[in-house]
Amino acid sequence: MQRIIISFLAIAFIAAAGCKKDNYEEPKAILTGQVVYDKQPVGLRSNGVQLELWQHGSALFTKIPVYIAQDGTFSASLFNGSYKLVLLRGNGPWVNNSDSLDVTVNGNTTVEVPVEPFFIIKTANIGRSGSDITATVTLQQINNSLPLDAVSIYLGSTTVVDQVNSVAGTTVAAADIPNITQPVNLTVAIPPSLIAKGYVYARVGVKTAGIAELLYTMPQKIELK
Amino acid sequence: MQKTYKYILLGLCLLTAGACKKDWLERKPRTILLEEQVWNDPKQIVALLANFYDRLPVQTGLQDINNNGDLDGRIAQWRDMANIDDAMWSGQSNEDGRNNIPAYGFESWRLWNYSYIRDINLALENIAQYGERLTDDQKKQFTAELRFLRAYDYFELVKRMGGVPLVTKQLLYDYSGNATPLQVPRAKEEAVYDFIASEVDAIKNDLGNDGNVSRANKYTALALKSRAMLYAASIAKYNNLMPAPISTPGGEVGIPASRATEFYTKSLEASKEIINSGVYTLYKVNPIPGENFYEAITKKSGNKEAIFVKDFLTPQKRHWFSYDNIVRGIREDNLGSSSVTPSLNLVESYEYLDGTAGALKTRTADNSDYIYYTNIGDIFANKDARLYGTVIYPGTTFKGLPVGIQAGVMAWNATRNAYDVVEGSDLNTTYTDGKTLTGSSGPHRSIQEVSNTGFYLRKYIDAGARTSTRGIQSDIWWIWFRLGEVYLNAGEAAFELGLTGEALTYINAIRERAGFGTNSLTTLTLARIQNERRVELAFEDHRLWDLKRWRIADKLWNGNVSNPNAMVYALYPYRVVRPGDAARNGKYVFVKMIAPRFRAPRFFQLGNYYSSIDQAVINNNPTIVKNPFQ
Repeated sequence: MQRIIISFLAIAFIAAAGCKKDNYEEPKAILTGQVVYDKQPVGLRSNGVQLELWQHGSALFTKIPVYIAQDGTFSASLFNGSYKLVLLRGNGPWVNNSDSLDVTVNGNTTVEVPVEPFFIIKTANIGRSGSDITATVTLQQINNSLPLDAVSIYLGSTTVVDQVNSVAGTTVAAADIPNITQPVNLTVAIPPSLIAKGYVYARVGVKTAGIAELLYTMPQKIELK
Repeated sequence: MQKTYKYILLGLCLLTAGACKKDWLERKPRTILLEEQVWNDPKQIVALLANFYDRLPVQTGLQDINNNGDLDGRIAQWRDMANIDDAMWSGQSNEDGRNNIPAYGFESWRLWNYSYIRDINLALENIAQYGERLTDDQKKQFTAELRFLRAYDYFELVKRMGGVPLVTKQLLYDYSGNATPLQVPRAKEEAVYDFIASEVDAIKNDLGNDGNVSRANKYTALALKSRAMLYAASIAKYNNLMPAPISTPGGEVGIPASRATEFYTKSLEASKEIINSGVYTLYKVNPIPGENFYEAITKKSGNKEAIFVKDFLTPQKRHWFSYDNIVRGIREDNLGSSSVTPSLNLVESYEYLDGTAGALKTRTADNSDYIYYTNIGDIFANKDARLYGTVIYPGTTFKGLPVGIQAGVMAWNATRNAYDVVEGSDLNTTYTDGKTLTGSSGPHRSIQEVSNTGFYLRKYIDAGARTSTRGIQSDIWWIWFRLGEVYLNAGEAAFELGLTGEALTYINAIRERAGFGTNSLTTLTLARIQNERRVELAFEDHRLWDLKRWRIADKLWNGNVSNPNAMVYALYPYRVVRPGDAARNGKYVFVKMIAPRFRAPRFFQLGNYYSSIDQAVINNNPTIVKNPFQ
């Protein structure tokens, strides 16, 4: 019996000692930032767009993926050091830019990532009209290299609304928009499941041809009662 | 003393004399085969070839192997059948992630099995170097087979990764401190397809193996060319019709539109050579079209349709596919079954025999009431016979046993003036009227290893006794190439070349075998051909690659819950309990719904058209250009 107790004690001691030794310290510095155009944050699909962080000098050379939240912000826990921040090609609704951004992380660091979108949504007036949600959207083309594909409105029951996370939506294809300098009207019927809740979150997105991700407005809450 | 001295002297003499025998220590090893022994013995070369054939990669297949990368390069993941829109996962709930893929990762379907390429290159060089005692014909044939396998593997690589480094000889390091000669850059995408075509042309007459389905012969090589050239042609055509074609400046990804006609022509020529040879015929042995289609895939004897297969043999080499996917109510083991279950989406893509679209009719035209069917299978009457051959649906049999597919009952509630939906908490349950509530095979909304869609797989499931047990297992073969696909390849290539009349003969031949009348189609569109490929080749590892080369995967699977193509649908049958209403009581109604265990819509992004290349590969070889969106 005593032998068992002693051996248990020994195991407990070893286990307790094992917790200490050789454990790496966790990364403590936090890099936060925002993707901006013209000092304004860029609205995106939640966790849809990725930035890459690279650090030269270690044996394992592989990227640290950093997903961007729908309001254009991102954060990553890192060790202090110098990193290169790269836009993943063709991933976001902006022009490719292979120039990397040098980021020196020392404690908590904030960085702004400027991008050049193909299209931005200058204004989006979203409101309720009867059993529909309507939106009037003005677009502005920033870069002419790719054409417009579509403009969409999405409805959801939470603040996370986008092409993938939506309960209902309507899309107006570029073919039906004769002049993109004129406002575009979107109408979508409010689904019954959302009427019961008494509110919806709506978001307008613009899709560039050949780019998977849309650029969105910030979600807007619309009371139905 | 004297005597001892003599003995020592004698011993020394013997030892020195013995040592004079030349190379006394150099003996042939008894446990290792030397290169000269292996490459001069046809039996040992065939044994090696068996290994190489076994290592051909396939995305789905019937096995569960993943040795991608540094290992021997094999890959066969039957569970991946449940990752697209033709089916979902209804098996063990720990694989339910397949129903909840927020977006396909950019590394999906990645393959980089240069270990396999290297082994083949080594074998080719060794046959040339050591194979002195082989006859010229043997040497030619073995070399041709190895080159066929290498070409096939390059096709598997190029359809996933785009242009890959074309390595055709062993890469040896010379210890000079300079590794750049080993760093082969990626070839252009079109160059890899050109390589496949030229290899097939070079070897097709040396292959031999006439009439063999598990080793490559002339027509196997031509079937590879038929498929590969069709892929190249449609990428050349449809990639350039995208608003922003997917390409890299160096052509590692993307084929110029100007080459489409040339590739379509090559594909059509290869297909026609197979069809016109008369060596293969569409399987039409069984007069019942549905059973006939099932046998066309699974029957081994007298099957003149199969061109190239991965064969399994009892008892040496078998697989678990039937154990994992058989109908729940018919399973012979106490576990397993029902893993990959076909979706309503697939079932509805099978047309009616009169040529109308395949959507099942569950509600009256004005949507006021259900349509009441006397027998549970009546809703599937007059469907394309390939539906029966591919999917087990309510009202059919398997292994001679009826399948008990019924979700529950619709009990009429007079006070509410509506039906109460009653479903069993378990399978094989009885309703208060003493008749079936939930059938022995479900469908059930939540129980694992029961179909969640209301359908089961028939294609590739073994109908032999006890083949769904873990002890016996199944020896159904996997089809790499069959004549049915060659007909569809020929039809598509001819259609794209403007030869609609010729295309119609090929497509109509396939449809006639499926129970349609002669010349059931008189006009043709690409959408028709796309649907024909979907229904004919379901679960044969075609749909994903077809959607990719037509560049429609990102439209069909756009990740939106309101897009019916991105969601997996189910069909639940219910028995009506409505005493006093003889026209409805005891009949069957059907409810279409999004499959209850299906969570996230299929989401295929532009970056999925070409799988990303592993960063470790790029680190080792800086000349590798990244894929777009990577």
